[in-house]
Amino acid sequence: MSGDAVPSTSPGDADDTAAPIDAVALAIAGHPIPVASFGDFRTAARDLIVRRVPPESVQWSGSETPHGDLLSAGNAGLAPMLPAGLLEQPPAPQPRIPRTLMEMLQSAACYRAPDRWGFLYKIVWRWQLGQQEILSMADEDGARLQHMVKAVRHEEHDMHAYLRFRERPPAAGDPRFVAWFEPAHDVLPQVAQHFAKRMGKISWMIGTPEATVLWDGKRLHGTGPLMRSAADVEDSGEALWLTYYRSIFNPARLNADIMHGHIRTRFWKNLPEAAVVPHMVSQAAAGARKVGQLDTVGKRTGTTIPIAAEKAAPERQQPSSLDDCRRCDLWQNATQAVAGQGARRAKIMLVGEQPGDQEDLAGKPFVGPAGALLDKAMDEAGMDRRKVYITNAVKHFKWEPRGKRRLHKTPAQKEVMACHYWLETELETIAPDIVVALGSTALKSILQSGSVTMKDYMGQPFQHDGRWIVVTYHPSYALRVPSAEARHEAVAAIVEALKTAQRLADGEAPGKL
Amino acid sequence: MELNDKLEILADAAKYDASCASSGAPKRSSEGKDGIGATNGMGICHSYTPDGRCVSLLKILLTNFCIYDCQYCVNRRTSNVPRARFTVDEVVKLTVDFYLRNYIDGLFLSSGIIQSADYTMEQLVAIARELREVHQFRGYIHLKTIPDADPALIDAAGRYADRLSVNIELPTQDSVQRLAPEKSVHTIKLAMGNIRLKLDEKEAEPKAPKFAPAGQSTQMIVGADASDDQRILTTAETLYGSYKLKRVYYSAFSPIPQSPKSVPLAPPPMLREHRLYQADFLLRSYGFQVGELLPAAGNLALDIDPKLAWALANREHFPMDLNRAEPAMIARIPGIGLRNAKRIVELRRMRQVRYADLVRLKCSMKKIAPFIVTADYRPARDTTPSEALRRSMADVQQQMPLWPELQAA
Repeated sequence: MSGDAVPSTSPGDADDTAAPIDAVALAIAGHPIPVASFGDFRTAARDLIVRRVPPESVQWSGSETPHGDLLSAGNAGLAPMLPAGLLEQPPAPQPRIPRTLMEMLQSAACYRAPDRWGFLYKIVWRWQLGQQEILSMADEDGARLQHMVKAVRHEEHDMHAYLRFRERPPAAGDPRFVAWFEPAHDVLPQVAQHFAKRMGKISWMIGTPEATVLWDGKRLHGTGPLMRSAADVEDSGEALWLTYYRSIFNPARLNADIMHGHIRTRFWKNLPEAAVVPHMVSQAAAGARKVGQLDTVGKRTGTTIPIAAEKAAPERQQPSSLDDCRRCDLWQNATQAVAGQGARRAKIMLVGEQPGDQEDLAGKPFVGPAGALLDKAMDEAGMDRRKVYITNAVKHFKWEPRGKRRLHKTPAQKEVMACHYWLETELETIAPDIVVALGSTALKSILQSGSVTMKDYMGQPFQHDGRWIVVTYHPSYALRVPSAEARHEAVAAIVEALKTAQRLADGEAPGKL
Repeated sequence: MELNDKLEILADAAKYDASCASSGAPKRSSEGKDGIGATNGMGICHSYTPDGRCVSLLKILLTNFCIYDCQYCVNRRTSNVPRARFTVDEVVKLTVDFYLRNYIDGLFLSSGIIQSADYTMEQLVAIARELREVHQFRGYIHLKTIPDADPALIDAAGRYADRLSVNIELPTQDSVQRLAPEKSVHTIKLAMGNIRLKLDEKEAEPKAPKFAPAGQSTQMIVGADASDDQRILTTAETLYGSYKLKRVYYSAFSPIPQSPKSVPLAPPPMLREHRLYQADFLLRSYGFQVGELLPAAGNLALDIDPKLAWALANREHFPMDLNRAEPAMIARIPGIGLRNAKRIVELRRMRQVRYADLVRLKCSMKKIAPFIVTADYRPARDTTPSEALRRSMADVQQQMPLWPELQAA
């Protein structure tokens, strides 16, 4: 238990070497079993389960607060005496409690309820009977267990959130920061650990009505209650916080109900900012919300910044005309247009389909997985990427959303046609002798026909508009085909096509191919 | 100017920013170390202001001097607001002091644009660097990124900050051009893309220097232009897909003092912002697509939540048998959230789900009753027309306000 780090002051575990309580003997005698910590409960519950003592036969005495009278005999004798023969029964196997349930029990043990130990034992008992539904909210006990766990977690959370440290003057010595909080459940040990992580080597103290924790910069110390109310420490830093709190509030959105829903009423009296809330709310309701700015700021003289509009505009690179392209709607969902890249006077131009997810972000063609495959194929074909020009038939990424991913979508023929203008421009500027069409979209764009099919042109270089056209698969086709065999074939075909293009570029006539 | 006065002006200037979450950072602790600060990945709200929004971070502007003229922004250069500027040390001191007193979980820092995008970004990075390196501050840092700044500066920001954000500001390029003339959707998208590439690189290479471990987010102002909810959500969906954002924040436009004529004088209903957040949550966590929530141009219904609206428009899926339905579909039933859907699936592995189980799970029975079938229950109203169901399930009408002029949003 996290409480291990904070020596509790309760008499129950003040002395770690004390002999464990003989829970079974107490139960048989009809005495309540004293429990001061989850550790005590765990030991006692294990003994009771092994001896098959049913929950209704056990009385527990755990104080509401850790320093109550644990051995109060007030309840003694109420339980029916258990048969003395209990001890002669063969013991049941050791209970096996899964870690999640153990954590829930541990957490629920911090919930302040008079019957908390009895209830937790009932849970252990039912688990031991194989009733796994106690883990479900739909079970009555399960629901209560979950409710307790939740309430404790909630209380921890609230203490993390609404505890306020005040800084003491350096002359006062340690602790440097002091806080007061009134938790509804026994969450101080866990919460203290949270603050130990937060504050590093800076010393602090948290007081509650039941106990106090001190952090000296190295370790935690627990004692009984030392403070009686909110820390009586003057802290000038609080004024800044109130200024911030008042200023960050947007009166135009007044919605005090939500605020009240989040900060439970019992915390308000110890929250410094709570004192200024009524005034803020009434001001907002009285018109400040219409302006949307606090009148304190409004009263000050303002300043406009004297700068001409042209001078204010940031210096940006002039977007290329391709960036401004609105020939189709694909630009809307894309990050940027991806132009071709490569040698200005390349003899070979590779044309793919369209930029993908990675290309769209990087602004360069073939940098994603398909690009990696193409690089490998080029290596194998003896083609130098720096000496060729690589581009796409369509310059913007077309996709549709799939959760948080972008699913590639094949461009429609009208988008291919709209984008042909840019491919044409590239063909004119680069003037390659050979064009490799990677996939059917590229082929359709080059031939400007939506009806051509790849299989009519595969493996057979042909001349079009005065240049050689070589047709092969798109690298992402090779990435997509399911069988390894088909993938090898596709890659081989791409390599073969690149070799063909390379040979054509080296001046070999296709007849010799 | 006193620190207190600066804080007043520069916190006031930051209050229109909706994002304030402090979650998603890796676990860090200062126990036994020099410096201060811890994060547990979850984030905590440390207070709430009467506008119902939480205070989890010190949310301030470095300065509200700004050479841009964004029409929806109170700090635009033509606005007549008091101006102030923090020094780097002042922001650092405020952050550390507030953190020690447990007022905040960290810093959310934004700034007006001064001199140039690069200069402004350098200042923001300097603050984060000082906090991390000089003060060994391990709390949460969220830096607003200036989109036109040098990518090297954004890179540096990502080394110190847990989260980076670039605001898209408005749902369409036209609106940005009209209302934020100095901004450019193109550079905003490039900055987001650049951050995503860095995040991907870091993910692929865990040993690389850290980069914005809590990811990136953005903010969109709702109601300053005429865009409808479908446009807004489509833009959000595009941004989520393209840049793997953690969150898109929707900020209902607040009327500002001496508002320019280009923006409306009245704010949109607050409920609209709320419905957008609900719809956004359905997109992020429930597997809904915008096309399902809003098949045609228009706004989300204000009287019912988006999931109920979807269910009423798609009655063919209902009533759904909780003992047979796909887990993902159970979460689509109005009144059953992700957590309860999971609990129902867990429970039905052990036994049949019954009506009383749902009551114990605290499902909103009024809402789910017409849509479910359990082992012992079948809705009598499963053929009731959607319109009638909607009338019976619409949010309860409030009593007429006594002082409408005070309560009018």
